[in-house]
Amino acid sequence: MENTFARYLFNRFFTLFLTVFIAATLIWIIPRLSPVNPIDAMLGRMASGGGTIENSGAIMEQLMERFGFNDPWYVQYWLYIRNTLTFDFGLSTSSFPTPVAQMIGDALPWTIGLMMVALIITFIIGNLLGALMVWEHTPRPWKAVIPAMMVFTSMPPILSGLLLMYIFSSTLPWFPLNGAYSIRVEPELSLSFIGSVIHHGVLPAMSIVVVTFGFWALGMRGLMITVQGEDYTVLAKAKGLKKRYILYKYMIRNAILPQITAFALKIGMLVAGQVLVERIFAYPGMGKLLYDAILTQDYPVIQGVSFVIILMTALAVFLVDLLYPLIDPRIRLGG
Amino acid sequence: MSVLDIKNIHIDFPTSKGVVHAVTDVTLSVEKGRRIGFIGESGSGKTTTALAAMRMLANPGFVASGEVHLNSLEGDTNVLHLDEEGMRRVRLRKISYIPQGAMNSLNPVMRVEAQIWDAVVAHEGAVEDLQARSDTALEGVGLDPKVVGRLYPHELSGGMKQRVCIAIGTCLTPDLIIADEPTSALDVITQRHVMQTLREMQAKIGAGLILIGHDMGLMAQSVDDIAVLKKGVLVEFGPVRQIIENPEHPYTKELISSVPLVGGESFLHAQAAPPKGEKLDVPLLELDGVSKVYGSVTALHPMSFALDGEEPKIISIVGQSGSGKSTMGSLMLGFNDPTAGAVRFKGDDINRMTAGERLEFRKQVQAVFQDPYACFNPFYRVNHALKFPFENFGMQGDVEVEMHKACEAVGLDPSLVLGRYPHQLSGGQRQRLIVARALMLSPKLLIADEPVSMVDASLRATILANIHDLKDKHGISIIYITHDLATAYHVSDYVMVLYHGHVVEAGPPKEVIGDPQHAYTRLLIDSIPWPDLDRDWGDAGDARAALDVLAEIGGTPETVYRGDIPGFTLGQG
Repeated sequence: MENTFARYLFNRFFTLFLTVFIAATLIWIIPRLSPVNPIDAMLGRMASGGGTIENSGAIMEQLMERFGFNDPWYVQYWLYIRNTLTFDFGLSTSSFPTPVAQMIGDALPWTIGLMMVALIITFIIGNLLGALMVWEHTPRPWKAVIPAMMVFTSMPPILSGLLLMYIFSSTLPWFPLNGAYSIRVEPELSLSFIGSVIHHGVLPAMSIVVVTFGFWALGMRGLMITVQGEDYTVLAKAKGLKKRYILYKYMIRNAILPQITAFALKIGMLVAGQVLVERIFAYPGMGKLLYDAILTQDYPVIQGVSFVIILMTALAVFLVDLLYPLIDPRIRLGG
Repeated sequence: MSVLDIKNIHIDFPTSKGVVHAVTDVTLSVEKGRRIGFIGESGSGKTTTALAAMRMLANPGFVASGEVHLNSLEGDTNVLHLDEEGMRRVRLRKISYIPQGAMNSLNPVMRVEAQIWDAVVAHEGAVEDLQARSDTALEGVGLDPKVVGRLYPHELSGGMKQRVCIAIGTCLTPDLIIADEPTSALDVITQRHVMQTLREMQAKIGAGLILIGHDMGLMAQSVDDIAVLKKGVLVEFGPVRQIIENPEHPYTKELISSVPLVGGESFLHAQAAPPKGEKLDVPLLELDGVSKVYGSVTALHPMSFALDGEEPKIISIVGQSGSGKSTMGSLMLGFNDPTAGAVRFKGDDINRMTAGERLEFRKQVQAVFQDPYACFNPFYRVNHALKFPFENFGMQGDVEVEMHKACEAVGLDPSLVLGRYPHQLSGGQRQRLIVARALMLSPKLLIADEPVSMVDASLRATILANIHDLKDKHGISIIYITHDLATAYHVSDYVMVLYHGHVVEAGPPKEVIGDPQHAYTRLLIDSIPWPDLDRDWGDAGDARAALDVLAEIGGTPETVYRGDIPGFTLGQG
């Protein structure tokens, strides 16, 4: 039993390592496949900018070293891997000489905070609504209303964001229009600061929840239909168990298992943020960082953000794999 | 005294094509301590009638009229008048249900004992000693509560799961137990054990029992009274001896005769002189020391045989689940590489063939599997499935003509079936089309793995007769893989009984099945529920003794050789 678990753990850990390693390698290779030399591109942009840019010599030098055109490829690769695995992504070209790691470090907590809350709310609401679409004891009005709510799923989050801004910020002045906290509070661990953060987070979070809960609801609906027809659900009813108990312990409990894997994948994705949502709410997260970096062709930032996204996805999958045996006993021996 | 009275019940299913009358005017009573069998084919209304008593009809079915009286209720005894909460309290406490799907009827994420606890709590509230309750229930069905109680369902065998369901079904001592084909997914030895456990528990708590099934033999050995249903109508009802020995309704007679008996009359069309197959210097099919190991499990121990193709023959491989019989089938088809040894077709090792040789091998060796629906692509009409291999293998001749000939050979009207989609045909028609498809390629060898286990009993004989005709009329040799000794007795020229990957007994069927010598073969034959009341199935003690017999046989049984037939040699030793 212990041996099986150790092997399971080892396998998962190996998968995690391999994923991150391959991802880092791809991030290293892909810019080198591009016919455009990023330094030429930099030079071109600087030239088209007209005037001379301060520090341009330092930037060039830093880029030359970063892309390592002076070294053989294996040295370049080795240095890159070593730097990446120690979270040294070099310096940003657009906000020179800020280290990329520092920029990511500043943006990451905002995105994780906002997106995590949005994802958890969406996961709970979506799965519950999906389950209620199938459950035979759901009140009739709900059965009519829930499918109608799926309309929101077809809306892009930027639209729901603008709509919510218009209603709850512009028309009804309930929530602030943008930013992560009020400029009138100091960023410190105080009640007023936390209150301000939550106040600012509601609209961006809502704009994501509204458009993404349908993904979970529709997935859950399909899973629930299968579970509803399973013999154990029929037997649960024949045992005279209470209907809510059957819903939670027999139906949702089994139907949710595949959803949890999907949840892990989403955790990784959310680090990239809802780029446009962060953009319109001027939320200082990873999405905005990535958006700005793409606009300014800030390669070190793009590479750093890409790596962090992949690392987070791999970590989330690793964690769920570790937790999965706790929620599905069949994995314990079968893994 | 009757426990349950069903009076003039009508059950309807409104569908888009109009109302389906699933049950029409059924009236019967279940006496305390008595066992009633509801028998009929799928769609006969047997399950629907029984589930109406629990008010658990599948959507959109409903009781259109009639009464269902549960006599232990106080006041109004008609369960159809109970409110939802009242009905919930009746389930399990008064009427319990043992479901068909032994494999999947327990919640996969809950420990076994917790699934007894939640049932007790739902009816009695917070009970002091739940552990003692589950322990008693599990002990009652012969399971060790210390071990089995802590396990999850996927860690149990099919028979153990079904005994857990019996433990749940009897833990609140209900008045009535409804068992819906409780042994349909189990092999005969386990079936006898589970059925005897159910009977023992039912007798102990004095409940009435409704046993739903389609197997007349199982009914004969398990119940006191039989109710025969056909298309929602109760066509015959009476004590088991009367029904088995003097059936009145033609449908009852048909059900009884659909169970093949060992030594009984053959259902095959006799043929005077079967055409000869090809004469070869080498055997048509040869297994040379073939074995198969999966991880730490040896599915098949080294086995050798040679089948000569000149005189077409049917060789049966008989065994229960896990005996290695399907492994043998997939090895012979080249779907699986043997761990050791070689499978040779006309002298060539099938795992070392070139692409061209392999194509020829695929053409000459055809297969028929258990689930005919899974063998068709549901998006194409069936004629596509029949044409495709014919054209793919570059066969000579007019495909339409060949297709019609093949359909007629298996007793199907080509104009009726060929233009249809697989889901528009019955299971029996689908399986016969699979046989026709194989026939169109004029193979030398057909491997049929449980070809009739998923079709209704009344059609089994017809399909086996079709397969038998392949030998008699078309000179095709056949390997028939089955768990059913009675059909093997009738169709085959030679039988091998497999147990844990070993051949335990082999020889002509009259010897092996008619007069078994090996302890395992005898046990198999004794475990079959015969539709013959004088051939007693024994009691729970016998079923448990059977497990001792298995333990005694152990992992490396001796082989009993019961004689040879010309053209087939089984490697000995």
